[in-house]
Amino acid sequence: MSEVDMAVIKPEMMKSYVWLQTTDGSIQQVEQEVAMFCPFICHEVLQKGMGSSKSYAICLPQRVNPAMLSLVLDYCRFHQVPGRSNKERKSFDEKFIRMDTKRLCELTSAADSLQLKPLVDLTSRALARIIEGKTPEEIREIFHLPDDLTEEEKLEPLKNTTDDPRIRLLNRLYAKKRKELREREKLKIVEAEEERVDDRSVDELLSFINGGNGDSKVLKTSKNKKKRRRRKDQQKNASHSEVAETDERESNGLHPMCHDTELDDEFRPSSSGASKLQDGEDDIFAPKVEFDDVDDEIDPALKEKIDREVEDFARRLNSVWPERMQELLSFGQERRPVHFAVNGNGTLRRCGSAEQK
Amino acid sequence: MVRMASSFPEEVLEHVFSFIQNDKDRNSISLVCKSWYEIERWCRRRIFVGNCYAVSPAMVVRRFPDVRSVELKGKPHFADFDLVPKGWGGYVSPWIDAMSTAYPWLEEIRLKRMVVSDEALELIAKSFKNFKVLVLFSCEGFSTDGLASIAANCRNLRELDLRESEVEDLSGHWLSHFPDTFTSLVSLNISCLRSEVSFSALERLVGRCPNLKKLRLNQAVPLESLADLLQRAPQLVELGTGAYSAELRPDVLSNLSGALTGCQQLKSLSGFWDVVPSYLPVLYPICSRLISLNLSDAVIQNPDLLKLVTQCQSLQRFWVLDCIEDTGLEALGEFCKDLQELRVFPSDPFGEEPNVSLTERGLVAVSQGCPKLQSVLYFCRQMSNAALVTIARNRPNMTRFRLCIIEPRAPDYLTQQPLDFGFGAIVEHCKDLRRLSLSGFLTDRVFEYIGTYAKKLEMLSVAFAGESDLGLHHVMSGCENLRKLEIRDCPFGDKALLANATKLETMRSLWMSSCSVSFGACKLLGQKMPRLNVEVIEERGPPDSRPDSYHVEKLYMYRTVAGPRNDMPGFVWTMDEDAAFSIS
Repeated sequence: MSEVDMAVIKPEMMKSYVWLQTTDGSIQQVEQEVAMFCPFICHEVLQKGMGSSKSYAICLPQRVNPAMLSLVLDYCRFHQVPGRSNKERKSFDEKFIRMDTKRLCELTSAADSLQLKPLVDLTSRALARIIEGKTPEEIREIFHLPDDLTEEEKLEPLKNTTDDPRIRLLNRLYAKKRKELREREKLKIVEAEEERVDDRSVDELLSFINGGNGDSKVLKTSKNKKKRRRRKDQQKNASHSEVAETDERESNGLHPMCHDTELDDEFRPSSSGASKLQDGEDDIFAPKVEFDDVDDEIDPALKEKIDREVEDFARRLNSVWPERMQELLSFGQERRPVHFAVNGNGTLRRCGSAEQK
Repeated sequence: MVRMASSFPEEVLEHVFSFIQNDKDRNSISLVCKSWYEIERWCRRRIFVGNCYAVSPAMVVRRFPDVRSVELKGKPHFADFDLVPKGWGGYVSPWIDAMSTAYPWLEEIRLKRMVVSDEALELIAKSFKNFKVLVLFSCEGFSTDGLASIAANCRNLRELDLRESEVEDLSGHWLSHFPDTFTSLVSLNISCLRSEVSFSALERLVGRCPNLKKLRLNQAVPLESLADLLQRAPQLVELGTGAYSAELRPDVLSNLSGALTGCQQLKSLSGFWDVVPSYLPVLYPICSRLISLNLSDAVIQNPDLLKLVTQCQSLQRFWVLDCIEDTGLEALGEFCKDLQELRVFPSDPFGEEPNVSLTERGLVAVSQGCPKLQSVLYFCRQMSNAALVTIARNRPNMTRFRLCIIEPRAPDYLTQQPLDFGFGAIVEHCKDLRRLSLSGFLTDRVFEYIGTYAKKLEMLSVAFAGESDLGLHHVMSGCENLRKLEIRDCPFGDKALLANATKLETMRSLWMSSCSVSFGACKLLGQKMPRLNVEVIEERGPPDSRPDSYHVEKLYMYRTVAGPRNDMPGFVWTMDEDAAFSIS
């Protein structure tokens, strides 16, 4: 019997249908009142006049596969009925939402693309409950996510990764050694040349270090220490106190220049290509003024000790550097795109929300 | 397997995150993977920084671009016992400076044990157009002038809570700075203010704020005026009275009585300075509704106190002076079956002899009678192992147990033994114990118990206890969830600290004063642990003018990603990596 025959025998069966097509090409017809519960479908029907026949089936968004469509329609079929009580609806929702996490994710995604907000909320809340109380490892497992944060990032993701205690210690030893060598050969004119001649191996090593913690770190002396200790409560304005903070960190060598470079990068999101590597290297050869402020006496025994430690450190660092560099290089490249992608979205969204206020 | 990240749009993930507001969960989310970290940081709206020096304002502002609510804590807990010298730090200004430009939509600031200046308050008042909540818990450094700025400029203010803060009272007229058009107040706590506020301004303010639910007055508000205020705010849920004394006059009595019964939503009471017992009966009609009662400033003796308490059968939280005595606590155990939190404070802590009959029996009675009891702070003069064991067995659901036996090193008064076994029972039975304060005569044994059983313990306070480094070692090596450890006057030295140095980076902070930690050990820790700030508080002159072996006066160590702080006063020395190279 054809559809028309059915209509003659049972007029009440002649409902309106909407034709929907999923990305796999399959087309189905759905009762109009059920399908129209989805804002996306509603829009397609009313604004574009689509869905009235098989050849004019509404193309559903890519995230809606047949299985998901079926679930969404089940949801719509129940909720579009006007007479139901809140209790009934809630009870249905609770049962409806019971499915494995993968399907739940797919359903959230599908509901979002169909703009079906109540279902998005329902599924989102369910996902939130799954996430709550779990460790990062557990969450990663459940959602099959990569473990791509480095150890340093996990600790304080914005801290510069070369803020390795060994490197900082090495840098300070180098700084001291370089200073005493300069003292000895004061009569030579060009600082940079002198450094290169005497400490070629050292500087080569340093130039591998991301961010070049070279000369910028003045060795802490008792004088500087006193200055820091006696610093009183500062109630300065924002920029001033930030500068003070940065100066402080520079002078005690705890946060090398590249940390500040990172600061700069963050504040100038347009500095696209400039990787931290390049910025860092520039710093090594920039002349440093602070050196002269520092106390000079280094007794020979200590100097010997420093020499030995410097060599020792150089040896040790050399042995792990190849792997380390790989890590740093891949980190430097991967991170940027993610940041900017979200930054782009985030900035737009942020402006949007500010306007709403 | 399709990876979630690729098919799940960011906005949807952000929407999922919006249903997760718990700090711990947000932290977990941010550590899952790079993309989740990025998404999470853009939609994080609330930040809690348990130690304001653990991270810098610049770092926070950079990582979280759109925060609406900030909570910061400054000084270590032992500052409450005057162990932290004045000027130590905890200044909020750098934070307000950074946030004033970064977070124009900031709505809430909650501070605990921080130094807040009037300038900071002014900056808050002028920078955040939608500012709603200001809580200054145990803060200092500001005056009523700063409050006036807040009142004058924060048009959408909902909560102004100054609990236990030290405020310089320059003028009671700051309240009048709330404009007449200001009606959004929901909570006002001025209980810490010493001098009078302008009563007419207060009356008008209370009268025009229809959503006012919590009102805690200061002592200077007389009892005779209370009825007036209550009549203007019958929707109050929490009330802190002013002085609770007046001449016994029938009109005052009846006004007060009427006004109180008019407050049908009232569930919480506090205040009650200088109580005149004859005014207590006006409270009887509302007692059965009360879930929280704070009588810690009220000197009320039995039988008046008993009569009051036995009528509060819905009580969940009860703070009281030891005037309640064992008999009162026994009644509490009998009538207040919903009790969850009990705090008993000493009425005469420095007296030689006990002035009231409050012993371990009271606490045992409450532990027996109140099945929901989970949080206890108890000051007393005697305790026994047997009592502690009974309490532990009665209440395995205990989560916070702070016992303060007033005399240091007081043994079990029945057996003269140390109280190791009793506290051992507490940690063994109360498996969810998160906070513990010890007192009495204790050997290293108690720490062995703690290290073995107290696996969920997050905060431990120790005074005048232990015999050797082994004690400290047990705690540091055994308590997996330990976040805050504060120790005073214990014979703990270098060995345990150095052996458990890595543990320190998993904790928020460690305080040790009048112990046996050497300066050399401090230097070593500072040098070896870059993510730890090791601060020596030494008011007797620079520590490096002494041999490494000398014992530091006070030591405060905390993990940080911000490096040594730059606002230390003259008596605080930081031990950092360069300490080993310094020429002394």
